[in-house]
Amino acid sequence: MDTRDPALNLRSSASRSWRREDVLALAPAAVLLAALFLGALAGAVKVSLVPLGGGIGDASLASWRQLFADPSFRDGLVLTLEVTIASTAIAAALGVALALALRRSAGAVRAVAAAPVPVPHLLVAVIAVVWLGPGGLADRILGSLPFDLIGNRNGAGIVAVYVYKEAPFIALLVLAAMGRSLEQREEAAAVFGAGGLKRAAWVLWPTIRGPVVVGSIIVAAFAIGALEVPLAVGPNYPPTLAVYAFQTTQGDLISGEGRAAAALLLAGFLAIVLASVGVRHARSADNE
Amino acid sequence: MRLRRIEVSRWLSAAAAVTAFAVGLGACADDRQPSAAGATDFKEIADEARGQTVRWWMYGGDERINDYVDSVVAPAARRAGIELERVPVADTADAVQRVVAQRRAGETSGGAVDLIWINGENFAAGKQAGLWLDGWTRRLPNAALVDFEDPSINRDLRVPIDGQELPWSRAAFVYAYDQKRTPTPPSTFDQLLDYARAHPGRVTYPAPPDFTGTSFVKQAVIAKGADEGFNYLAELKPLMWQQGERFPKSEAELNRLFANGEVDFAMSFDPSFIASEVRKGEFDESVRPFLLEGGALVNTSYVTIPADAANAAGAQVVADLLLDPRLQAQKADPARLGIPTVLDLDRLDPTERRRFQGSVASPYLLDDFGDVKSELGADQVRPLEERWTREILR
Amino acid sequence: MSERRTRLLVGVLAALFIAPLMVLLVQAFADSWRAPGVLPDQLGWRGFEVAFGSARAGDALVNSLLVAFAATAISLVLGWPAARVLGMRRLPRNGFVFLLIGLPLLMPPYLAGFGLTEWFIRLGIDDSLAGIVLAHVTFALPYAILILLSGFNREVEALEEMAATTGAGPARRLAWVTLPALRPTLIAAALLSFLVSWSQYGTSLAVGAGRPTLPIVMLPFIQTDPEVAAALALVFLAPCIVALAFVARLQRTPL
Repeated sequence: MDTRDPALNLRSSASRSWRREDVLALAPAAVLLAALFLGALAGAVKVSLVPLGGGIGDASLASWRQLFADPSFRDGLVLTLEVTIASTAIAAALGVALALALRRSAGAVRAVAAAPVPVPHLLVAVIAVVWLGPGGLADRILGSLPFDLIGNRNGAGIVAVYVYKEAPFIALLVLAAMGRSLEQREEAAAVFGAGGLKRAAWVLWPTIRGPVVVGSIIVAAFAIGALEVPLAVGPNYPPTLAVYAFQTTQGDLISGEGRAAAALLLAGFLAIVLASVGVRHARSADNE
Repeated sequence: MRLRRIEVSRWLSAAAAVTAFAVGLGACADDRQPSAAGATDFKEIADEARGQTVRWWMYGGDERINDYVDSVVAPAARRAGIELERVPVADTADAVQRVVAQRRAGETSGGAVDLIWINGENFAAGKQAGLWLDGWTRRLPNAALVDFEDPSINRDLRVPIDGQELPWSRAAFVYAYDQKRTPTPPSTFDQLLDYARAHPGRVTYPAPPDFTGTSFVKQAVIAKGADEGFNYLAELKPLMWQQGERFPKSEAELNRLFANGEVDFAMSFDPSFIASEVRKGEFDESVRPFLLEGGALVNTSYVTIPADAANAAGAQVVADLLLDPRLQAQKADPARLGIPTVLDLDRLDPTERRRFQGSVASPYLLDDFGDVKSELGADQVRPLEERWTREILR
Repeated sequence: MSERRTRLLVGVLAALFIAPLMVLLVQAFADSWRAPGVLPDQLGWRGFEVAFGSARAGDALVNSLLVAFAATAISLVLGWPAARVLGMRRLPRNGFVFLLIGLPLLMPPYLAGFGLTEWFIRLGIDDSLAGIVLAHVTFALPYAILILLSGFNREVEALEEMAATTGAGPARRLAWVTLPALRPTLIAAALLSFLVSWSQYGTSLAVGAGRPTLPIVMLPFIQTDPEVAAALALVFLAPCIVALAFVARLQRTPL
């Protein structure tokens, strides 16, 4: 037995600190992400502060002030948050339900359930319009639809498309975490007399909570910042944050790009806030 | 027999020399020639352009124009020794964004954008920021075929084009109606309002800041004045499709609504859009164009060269080619595109002028745009869009 | 779950998830499809003629494939060690690392147009396929790490330890214990990285200076020319479906 073998030290509490191997293992990914993404992010911040042709000295919060003064933006912020929360909650709930229904199904069935995942949001939005839009296929087949999703002022169309696309995504994440070991643990719990609900709370949920939280954060972040879906199926007014950014640069990019970058940076910031709240909640649950 | 581009410029140089001599002898000068100095400049540019690859960034969603550039313009460029690479983008702003990013990165040369088919607002903004190459347009040989005194040409959204953009096509705002649904279309805005009253829910227009929607609002303002125009739009709103609670977000969306029979009129700044949509199988063959207020809002389409373009010489040669009467005639041919030429037909010699005549008229194209209206200024666009959002949308 | 219920579920899923996509198949061949027709008025090849002609779907397909495979490979190679450390070693104060990894996932994709181009120009990696690959890796790598993370759990740790006690060296442990244990996770991470790169639009445009990729050539036709857009969409979806089917085969049995 080689006591220098790192594998043997994995769970030793004495080594719960950063070792050289850890840094080296993380370095390539971290350096790449930092070098590429942080620079781009800094560029976007600069766009929101410095007009074209100006230098550092011309930096100002003018774009940000204009942004917050614009009622379209404020209304759009509210709509964005509403749509995000609704989509995430519904997608998570349906995703878990789908995963539970499919946990013992064959790969072919899972593939069917996973069909929307590789389809980019843009295509899903386009297909939604083809089916559900005015004069669309649903109209032609059924005569006319009783409800109006596309262009719905409350963003129902946006929520529908997000849920359609993201529930299977969350289901996939959850399914990946549910393996044979979970089945064995559930059986063990059943043997010890735990009922269905108890098994769900004490065995199932802790296993799938991770993927559900991560999946929800990804879905929420995407919903806050996405452009193509609300552009295709969202209301004219108010515009979601990304649509606002797009419309601000329509026609004339240069005068609008400051506000557009600011709106998108704000969307990103909100996503970070939501993510930290989600993670902290999950962590505290972990420690109970 | 048509001379090739390089031969023409050499011919012009020779002719310039002869003519200068002839003028000195009191004979008439040929109107078509650029100055001798201009011709020499262009020859140098044409030589420098040989072997270059020119990247022309332009809207890529119109199959006919893509075809025209690939199968008519590109071969002509190849004959001049230039490889023309059409870079399709979803919006002109994508090309402008690239140029802006290059400027922000401090690049002054070697830019990835050589030529842009630009729109008025972005041109105005870019001109203010000094993004465009200057002083190259008037010395192109074919520039002499364009009437630069025409205010609808020398000003783009009322901003002087100076030497920074070159016209290459004409645009006129036309409307479409389906003969099967609407026997007689309205001919004024007031008649449009009456039509909407008689057929509620059958009229709509794209929401600004979409370009087509903004242009429609502009026309209402031009026809009736600012406040009256907005009163008109407010009056129209409850009679519109979906009671004006929802607007199509783009011209393309409005085309879909019109094609599906949801509304009775479509509109576009592309005077050949009906022919295009019929060809795509979207519009019924009974669709016809019409005008409001007796004349179309006309506009010129331009190309511009970013100041940091890597292949500016090649781009200038390509821009000059776009004004070649042969190419312009093919573009104007109703059987191909049917987009009106920007050349001044009086400046062409009879053989060339004949190219533009005698083609079979298409029922989908108007050959006369009536009493044309001129554009509003670039600086008025955003206030107009904001006012529309404030008063009509919310 | 009973046979009948399974079949019902499959039926519902198929109707919900597969049938709507079928409309693309029909629309790609619909030279004319006007309301109120439920089926096209006229079928033809115009969609594909334009797609592979002036829309350069062929070039775009090649570019997208090259970039996606490269981005997936790089994301897996870089993501594996990072996920291992983050997943198995419960290190203190790793929030900063997670934030860095999560940032590309949290920021709006549309933001790429406002900062990525300038930065990549300054770095000198713009206007090239390699640049596009790196831009895609920026967004695919976080996904790869997150998925791989879930695979590096205590059971794998225990398995590795057991292997170590029997004298297996690091390479042997990797090949015989870790990789097989993480096979489904690895496959999922590869698939997702591929899909993330495959559907990138804004980053490809920002960094590639107009080089054709499938999303880039497809977007201008959306709404304006449904037939061509549908044809391009089919070209776009075909590799995705192949990838999905391939993965379904590999993961045939539920764990």
